[in-house]
Amino acid sequence: MRPGFWTIVGILAWAILIGLLVVPLGSVLLSSLQDASGNVTFANYVRFIETPRFRTAFVNTLIVGFGGLVGSLVLGGIMAFCMARIEIRGSRLVSLFAILALVSPPFIGAYSWIVLFGSGGLVRQTLMSWGIFIPPIFGLWGILIVFSFKFYPYVYLLTSGALGNINRSLEEAAESLGMTPFRRVMAISFPLVLPALSAGGLLALIHSIADFGTPRLIGRGFSVLATEAYTLYSAEVGSNLSMATTISIVLIFLSMLFVFGQRYMSRRNVYHGNLINKPVKRKLTGFPNVVAHVAVYFIALAGAMPAIIAAIYSIRRTSGPVFHPGFGLDSYRRILYNLAGAVQNSLLFSFAVVALVVTVGTLIGCLVARRQTVNSALLDSTLMVPYVMPGIVVGIAFVAAFNAPPVALTGTALIIILSIFIRRLPYSVRSSASALRQVSPSMEEAAISLGYSPVQAFMKVTVPLILPGIIAGGMLSFVTAINELSSSLVLYVGGTATMPVRIYIAINDGDYGTAAALSTVLLVLSGTAIYAAFRLMGRDERALL
Amino acid sequence: MTYLTVENATKIYSEKVRALDGVSIAVERDEFFTLLGPSGCGKTTLLRSIAGFSDLTEGRIALAGARLDPIPSHKRDIGMVFQDYAVFPHLTVGENVAFGLKARRVPAPETAARVAEALATVRLVDYKARLPAALSGGQQQRIGLARAMVIRPKLLLMDEPLSNLDAKLRVDLRDEIRDIQKTVGIAAIYVTHDQEEALAISDRICVMNAGRVEQIGTPQEIYANPQTIFVATFVGTMNTLPREAAPHLGMTEPAASVHTWAIRPEHIRLARAEADAGRVRIEGTVEKYTYLGREAHILVETAAAKLVAQIADPAPGLSFSAGSPVALAFRREDVLAFDRQGARVPAGAA
Repeated sequence: MRPGFWTIVGILAWAILIGLLVVPLGSVLLSSLQDASGNVTFANYVRFIETPRFRTAFVNTLIVGFGGLVGSLVLGGIMAFCMARIEIRGSRLVSLFAILALVSPPFIGAYSWIVLFGSGGLVRQTLMSWGIFIPPIFGLWGILIVFSFKFYPYVYLLTSGALGNINRSLEEAAESLGMTPFRRVMAISFPLVLPALSAGGLLALIHSIADFGTPRLIGRGFSVLATEAYTLYSAEVGSNLSMATTISIVLIFLSMLFVFGQRYMSRRNVYHGNLINKPVKRKLTGFPNVVAHVAVYFIALAGAMPAIIAAIYSIRRTSGPVFHPGFGLDSYRRILYNLAGAVQNSLLFSFAVVALVVTVGTLIGCLVARRQTVNSALLDSTLMVPYVMPGIVVGIAFVAAFNAPPVALTGTALIIILSIFIRRLPYSVRSSASALRQVSPSMEEAAISLGYSPVQAFMKVTVPLILPGIIAGGMLSFVTAINELSSSLVLYVGGTATMPVRIYIAINDGDYGTAAALSTVLLVLSGTAIYAAFRLMGRDERALL
Repeated sequence: MTYLTVENATKIYSEKVRALDGVSIAVERDEFFTLLGPSGCGKTTLLRSIAGFSDLTEGRIALAGARLDPIPSHKRDIGMVFQDYAVFPHLTVGENVAFGLKARRVPAPETAARVAEALATVRLVDYKARLPAALSGGQQQRIGLARAMVIRPKLLLMDEPLSNLDAKLRVDLRDEIRDIQKTVGIAAIYVTHDQEEALAISDRICVMNAGRVEQIGTPQEIYANPQTIFVATFVGTMNTLPREAAPHLGMTEPAASVHTWAIRPEHIRLARAEADAGRVRIEGTVEKYTYLGREAHILVETAAAKLVAQIADPAPGLSFSAGSPVALAFRREDVLAFDRQGARVPAGAA
């Protein structure tokens, strides 16, 4: 009915995807297939397989990926079950902690764990003085601990939602058929939450594979593909772009493999229950009650610990890297004098990303939700690709594509904005498409039959109805945009450094006070945006995923 | 001169799927016209084509002598009532009803008066300032009706407006809709799959099946004189028997074209020796007796086929045990005959 307008939107969507996704990915692929003199060759892939260092990084990536997956499943599963089925005191506080864990950048997590359990860590030193030896947290186990406590909210939020949506009659039916409670859980509840569990696990897995900051800071020589790619790219002597791009391709391939694997696994497991009989939370007493509360609060506090530590350390007195007893605002003062540019950049870039992603995402979301054509289905599935691309890969791809004329963007603010934009676009499209699916198409038709043109009907009826959802989605985009590290780290130059980049540099320089203060600023900004989003659309932690 | 004419409406989605296949209807001014059929028969597609929400592959639609096809849907001046109400949740009841008047730039005082009148008609005056979410389904649909009527449309379209309501409310609102339509004197096209609703509300009914018109007629014609086996079985209930059952039905010389016999349960009764003159008798054994209050159904296994007979106002003490012998009686002229293609044919000589 509005062929003109929606055709233009379709063309625009493809132009964006080709310009910001296909071309960079194509450049990465081309670069990985070239030798130094530009001939087509598989030498880079051969070298990837033959070099022990890369093989180790590949295996390590799988180890941290699945380790993070298992850790998140265990922690998230326990949390989900306790929170959905047992009355936990202060459950709002617990879910607040889960949100804190989710939005604090992972490298802050790594840093805070180092502060407590590193070689000179607070907790470790205290325990040592009591005669209890624990090894410093560095290495594989450190990475896995950080990942588990950082990514468990994915599993927890998705699974607790699913657990809360199981019709109680199903479990009562199983009970009346004579099943023991344990068999009932295994036979009824578990299969019903499996899709949510596996979707949450997939998110944990993909983020574990893609994460760059944590292995870099806490790995101490434990290298994964993401860190290898960054090292190869950024080495001052002998920077090797074609090897970095080869690793990028391997990383994308891995992520895609897992996404399709999860989809294949849960392809049959879509259950539509009716919610006549909502499950109730049980009130435990005595020892089991204590165990449940200890488990929930331990996981929640450990997950939120990095954010809390950062806030505390940000107000400790420092001079340079050395902390002094007592509290003060030295670190914030230093940000104000030296790093105001980074704060400004972060805000500017994030607002630009939000403006872009909300406009473009809403338009494409409408296209995907309302025009069921081959084109929009293809568009929807192509948008899955940036969803699984690790940030470091996006960064390297943008360098490979936009380093030289005709499109020379490296070193500009625009390239950082665009790199964050394309990574966030899939979320925005999905959230506006799902907001739109809540609005019955007959609503617009009613307005049309009452005498409004299709465009007027869309503006007067549909837009007001989806606006709260769109603004809330924008707020959440702001949170991801302002916390983005890995692609910015590849793309920044002195003048375009953002807060996460500065935090990363400060931690590497041992300037923990500054890092903590910047992290706290980030957390406050993120928290404000999330609060605003929840006010607009109702509290729904799952919107953060 | 008919008011609304649809000629040869055809909608082809793909080679195999013909949602509409050469449908022609003509609706008079003031007429309550119902499109009746099972889901997927094309009735909603036809309604949406008249509203302008879906384009016909072929055919033409004309309203009050002017062709409708080139006019975009928002300029057609056709009121529509939706199955899911489509009440705007962000506007109050009053604002919902005034919505279409705003598009027409009706002056504020007149808008207020017309909204008040429309709300009075659907008995929602007290709810004017409320948001629709607080209202029941029936009330929401009355908003939908008021909103569509207040613009004084040339035609009122209703797409299964009552199917989401519970049974009691459905009957009340259906009478209300009928009264409003007659008071205002507007042509209305009503889509439903509920045959009882169609019989109760319509001036004329168009029964559709698989994209085609099966029969158009008054409720009496549709029910008592069905022209196809589809209409006969879809509207009301029908016993159907194969051609070979002819001797048992008193048809000694069936016409050559007869393929299926049909007779309604209410035309079959328990045989009573004193009053069965001129009726055909058939014997059998009771298989099931179902008591429904104002009537009862008795399923009887006979030599011809299993037959359901209806007993009006059954005595509470009346009962039949399975297997007991029973005799049924019916009039020969109540037996309808259909050919192999399902069209009604003369039954032939007795």
